[in-house]
Amino acid sequence: MIKLFSKILAALVLGFCASSASAESDIQIRNLWVQAAPPGVKVLAAYLEIKNSGKQQRVLTGVSSPAFGQVGIHRSMIHGNMAHMEHLKELAIPANASVVLQPGGLHLMLMDAKKPLQAGDQIPMTFIFGNGENIAASATVRSGTMEGMGDRQPMDHSGHGEHKH
Amino acid sequence: MKSQRGALTGKSLAILLIIAVAIAVAAAAFIGSRPDNARPDNDRIVKPPEEIDDYLFWEAKQLTDFKLIGADHKTLVLNDLKGKWSFIFFGYIHCPDVCPLTMGVLGQAFKLIEKNPVAYQEIQGIFVSVDPKRDTPELVKEYASYFSSKFTGVTGDTAQLDAFSRQMSALYTIHPKEAQGSGDNYSVTHNSTVFLVDPQGRLYGRFPPPQLPQEIAEVFVKIRMFYNEKVKK
Repeated sequence: MIKLFSKILAALVLGFCASSASAESDIQIRNLWVQAAPPGVKVLAAYLEIKNSGKQQRVLTGVSSPAFGQVGIHRSMIHGNMAHMEHLKELAIPANASVVLQPGGLHLMLMDAKKPLQAGDQIPMTFIFGNGENIAASATVRSGTMEGMGDRQPMDHSGHGEHKH
Repeated sequence: MKSQRGALTGKSLAILLIIAVAIAVAAAAFIGSRPDNARPDNDRIVKPPEEIDDYLFWEAKQLTDFKLIGADHKTLVLNDLKGKWSFIFFGYIHCPDVCPLTMGVLGQAFKLIEKNPVAYQEIQGIFVSVDPKRDTPELVKEYASYFSSKFTGVTGDTAQLDAFSRQMSALYTIHPKEAQGSGDNYSVTHNSTVFLVDPQGRLYGRFPPPQLPQEIAEVFVKIRMFYNEKVKK
């Protein structure tokens, strides 16, 4: 009886450890997707939501993917109808907040695609944070350009919640 | 353009009023002396409906001839715009965000316009790459047609691009290679307005960013209706 009890206890403890290990990070990468593009296009964009449920600000310092030579954190800006891009060295995710990267604003710029991507492909990506934590996530390549367009905010106001650098 | 009207002072308004009355009197005398069918081709004789007014240029501007280069050494010249409504967008292929977004919106707008088969027959999309160093005419064609079969993709040398884009004040700047990009990664600042050229080859309207497919489709159908009723005759 005691043996059985200790086994159950051990299982519970292990189970608890396992679940707490997977929920260890305060950061969640959600809705990660890559905009599909014609085959000849070597530069693409990825979009996602980064949720920080912790009590401290976290800083995304880099992203890498084996499918691309380089990944940058970028922001599109439109002033007087002129569109241009700004490269961000890092992206802060305030405590208990989300930063959304969406078309027409903040995005990950995926450069030097190693091979053409098709809708439905899964792209592995690693998100590197300032505290040394690396989070792996998989991006889905999507063809439709309409996702989330209905509630799209004017571009100048998109990407709210991020800090400027 | 129109917004300048708000900045008029009382004095200059009075002067303008006097000038306007003088012009009106002169115009009345002039028009009165001409046969009815020879009235000047000015769309603004008829005020456009409120919901399309903001999208129209104050005065339709006749484009002068230009030459842009498409795939297979095909050229695009002013004559290719005549008889069609042309939606023109300036961008570049290494633009991962705004360009696919805008091209996607236009592709969706064209699908919505397809519900009106006659209007659909009259439209064409023109993607002008302002980055000829990286974007060959073949790549530009492939890129543009990905978003809609209605799209033609063209580019040109700097002189050809400038001669065309300046007619729409669609400025662009190619930035020197940026420190962070490896290889051939540089960015281009470009005008993300979608320009609308009428079937006479006149710069007629524009859709400033951020555009939505429904907006472009609905406004275009109304612009075309206004044009056909009041202008084309």
